[in-house]
Amino acid sequence: MTMGAAPRIGCRDLRVSARGRELLHVPALDVAAGSALAVLGPNGAGKSTLLRALAHLGGLRRTGDVLLDGRPASSRELRPAVAAVLQRPILRRGTVAANAASGLRLRGVGRAEAGRRAEPWLAALGVAHLARRDARTLSGGEAQRVALARALAVEPRVLLLDEPFAGLDATTRVDLLADLRAVLDGLDAATLLVTHDRHEARALAGETALLVAGRIRQHGPTEVVLDAPSDAECARLVGFTNLFPPAVTGRDTLLAARPEHCRVLVGEPPAGEVGVTGTVRRIVPLGGGTRVDVDTAAGTVACTGPVPAGLGPGRAVVVAVVPAEVRSIPDPARRAELCPEQTDAVHPG
Amino acid sequence: MDVLFDGFVEAVWLLFGGDSETWAITALTLRISLTATAVAAVVGVPLGAAVALTLFPGRRVLLAAANTGMGLPPVVVGLFVTVLLWRSGPLGAFGLLYTPAAMVVAQAAIATPVVVALVAVALQQVDPEFMVQMQALGAGRARALLALFGEARLPLLAAAMAAFGAVVSEVGAAQMVGGNIAGETRVLTTAAVLATSRGNFALAIAFGLILLVIAFVVNLVLTLAGQQDPARR
Repeated sequence: MTMGAAPRIGCRDLRVSARGRELLHVPALDVAAGSALAVLGPNGAGKSTLLRALAHLGGLRRTGDVLLDGRPASSRELRPAVAAVLQRPILRRGTVAANAASGLRLRGVGRAEAGRRAEPWLAALGVAHLARRDARTLSGGEAQRVALARALAVEPRVLLLDEPFAGLDATTRVDLLADLRAVLDGLDAATLLVTHDRHEARALAGETALLVAGRIRQHGPTEVVLDAPSDAECARLVGFTNLFPPAVTGRDTLLAARPEHCRVLVGEPPAGEVGVTGTVRRIVPLGGGTRVDVDTAAGTVACTGPVPAGLGPGRAVVVAVVPAEVRSIPDPARRAELCPEQTDAVHPG
Repeated sequence: MDVLFDGFVEAVWLLFGGDSETWAITALTLRISLTATAVAAVVGVPLGAAVALTLFPGRRVLLAAANTGMGLPPVVVGLFVTVLLWRSGPLGAFGLLYTPAAMVVAQAAIATPVVVALVAVALQQVDPEFMVQMQALGAGRARALLALFGEARLPLLAAAMAAFGAVVSEVGAAQMVGGNIAGETRVLTTAAVLATSRGNFALAIAFGLILLVIAFVVNLVLTLAGQQDPARR
């Protein structure tokens, strides 16, 4: 976060509630101009709620302040500064070109000028050739590209992206991620990306905040947050889905590992490696490799690392992880030191 | 067949021969039906929008009432408006019975439920997140609402066409509250009924043809208006 200039967009003590239940409480969050923050969380964590609350959208019951350039901002001040792309690309009837220009038109820009200003953004997102097409005939990926071009064309000071890749197939998603990354690199906007996919966070955002049950559990540089989860839920969220309690490993703390770093061995694990014994439950061939689910004292552990030949269900095995790929999850007392502002967090549900 | 053929010939003659009474009746019909449609739009569009876009107690009851009202027999409306405007009735003091104003009131009462129900359907067909997305692009609430109406313009125009069609073609209420007074409240439908009852089929067919032409022209104008590209606006 920049120390000198005030962050472009942020919030203080932002709370959103519905039917008497608090859905979201964010004590403080800031995004500087020219930088991107990913808010990563599971379904129902309150990610979209946070995005909408920051933009004063959608009639939420909201308290606290949204800050624009460091000062509390009203809806009237936020509208011209912010552009948001929602999960589903909601395009208007008409051509792609008219849709790309429609954000500018809503802001009172003349038709000819809006068209002229929107055109380069269609090109930047690779849909310039569709300009004359009826927007209703587009595929999901094309429509989302047009929705992104429409938002970027208004040259917002704050760009909010609500899972813009959620409904897209894998190939389309990767292509669009690459194009969007190239576009964002050249922008002065403060970008907030809401996603449940850590790969999207890694691709687009320098900073990442993990949101679980309406609270930010961890916040920092994306590489750090994705590589050093602060608690078990954060660990699962960033892909360390195999958790090994001290009772199983004989170590001092809870250990976490990604499935791709867990190998299934027959016999003893190499010296120094974390090893957990178990029984093969099932073997599932996947596109790029094989996933082996192993029943252990720590529950079912998924392994997508190398598989020994002749393995079958019911076989006694050891799940091994090299020390460099194991993360030690601090106990709650230690976590309080890492995230002091979140120690009062109470998690509903 | 001769009666029908002669009727068509005389109808064309009446229309293009410049029969002043025929044209006066046509003008009054247009004035009353368009005014009634406009009144129904002024009352019905906000109600339909409220039903579609907001939550309030009695919302579904209102929608059900509007849906029921779409099939309201004009004679029933005519009866109620007549009773209301009758000299000794609650609104008798205004002396509106058997005037074009009374016909506008009755026809607006027929058209309003049509407008409410069809506007509600038209706006509900648009993505529920549409307004949020427009605001997320920088539109104020009023501008977002305008964009929503632009997006739903085809079904909205269909609502207007249905409302106009309902009132221009109805005869029961116009007869009851207007009285079919020559030169004052005689419109195409009541004139056609009278001509038919007198055996003057040519005149009746002429009125019928004019009604068809009016309906076609009004709907043509609305259809052409609806086929523009809303995203460009």
